[in-house]
Amino acid sequence: MSRTVAAVATLVALLVLAGHAGSADAAGRQVRYVGIHPVPKSEGGGICYIEGPHVHVFDADKVQYRDHHGANYFVGDPVAYGYDGQRYVYKGHHPIHVNVVVGDDEPDDEYCYINGPHYHYFAPPEGPEFRVAGDAYFYVGEPPHAYIEARPAMMRINAVYQPLAYERPVVTVDAPEGWIGARAELSGPAVVVEPPRAAVVVEPPRAAVAPARAGVTVQGFIPTPSLHIGVGIGIGSPGVIVHERAPAVIVRERPVIIHERPVIVHERPVIVHERPVIIHERAKVQHDNNHRSPHDHR
Amino acid sequence: MRTLVFRLALGLALGACGKSGDGDKPGAGTGASPRDAVIDAWKAAKLGPSAMAPATVTFAKDCQAGTVGTIEVLLCSFGSPADARAAEDPGLAWVGAATGASRAHGSVLVVLADRKKADPSGRTINQLMKLAPN
Repeated sequence: MSRTVAAVATLVALLVLAGHAGSADAAGRQVRYVGIHPVPKSEGGGICYIEGPHVHVFDADKVQYRDHHGANYFVGDPVAYGYDGQRYVYKGHHPIHVNVVVGDDEPDDEYCYINGPHYHYFAPPEGPEFRVAGDAYFYVGEPPHAYIEARPAMMRINAVYQPLAYERPVVTVDAPEGWIGARAELSGPAVVVEPPRAAVVVEPPRAAVAPARAGVTVQGFIPTPSLHIGVGIGIGSPGVIVHERAPAVIVRERPVIIHERPVIVHERPVIVHERPVIIHERAKVQHDNNHRSPHDHR
Repeated sequence: MRTLVFRLALGLALGACGKSGDGDKPGAGTGASPRDAVIDAWKAAKLGPSAMAPATVTFAKDCQAGTVGTIEVLLCSFGSPADARAAEDPGLAWVGAATGASRAHGSVLVVLADRKKADPSGRTINQLMKLAPN
């Protein structure tokens, strides 16, 4: 009997619970995400591996995420946050075809502005806009106006990654022809990053016109994720156009200012309190042996 | 009295099961409803879904709720894939203030919620969504 009653109670409770769960909790605000992304440290850190659309009750920043039809899509390097899945190496800026990555039908091209070698969890779609060299993807396409327009603001993402300590990919091969990182016209508004103890001054390279074929881009770069020095020389009919590219990253030597703190010695005066010597002279009291105390009882 | 209580329980259970809509009709030749196919896919991956109980929600008429491990699960059957897709956003209301997802897989709406915060990496939710057949 009691088991049957318990079964009925459980069933009724489940029905009630199910009905109750049907209403959303208004206390927590849902934030929409799509694709893999880091979890804020305040929420435990690490990576959220949900590839499709999903919700959390924590917010996304505006530098590492882009809006994809109302959902936050992460455009940063997930390895920096502990991602341990399949990864692909990219070097320099490139487009991300978000709809291809997340598998929906609505076209959405966003741009990654991370300088130098970095990872993503997706490979770019096959086509002429990317070329592979040294197992890294280099964007060699024609960047649209949207990329250039958003560049000054979105370059801030490099300030986010600069202090992060993680194993970054190393790309030592020469970038293929047409790589966006070597294009002078895209040197535009650069982000000036001043490392804390930089002692190296990188001067812009002098333009040198070397014998080159039409359309050849000559480039030089320091294989460091955050430094790019490029000289683009475009030779084509009718004239010769020489672009001298300003360095995308200016490293300035920061003066070291040492403030000498004066040493102040406070001499404490020594005060000697001389205690007066008080001599209490004990008065001699002669006791009269014949005097009877009141306490004496006989 | 015992018989009466038993019949009441049985009646409730059968009545709830009998609410299944068109979406729960067995697929042609498969012998299983689209919702069963989702549950079977999870079972095949040894994810061990619990028994599903009828659930009442505002955005669908034929839903069942249960758990898979620590994840709470809601499976709603619809008459068509388009109807299921249309219920994806309302399905997030069931997730509430938790990590979760609501996606149509064919004519079944799969809604998952990690209310216990036991799946911080989202791997289980991701696996459940990927295993559900379309």
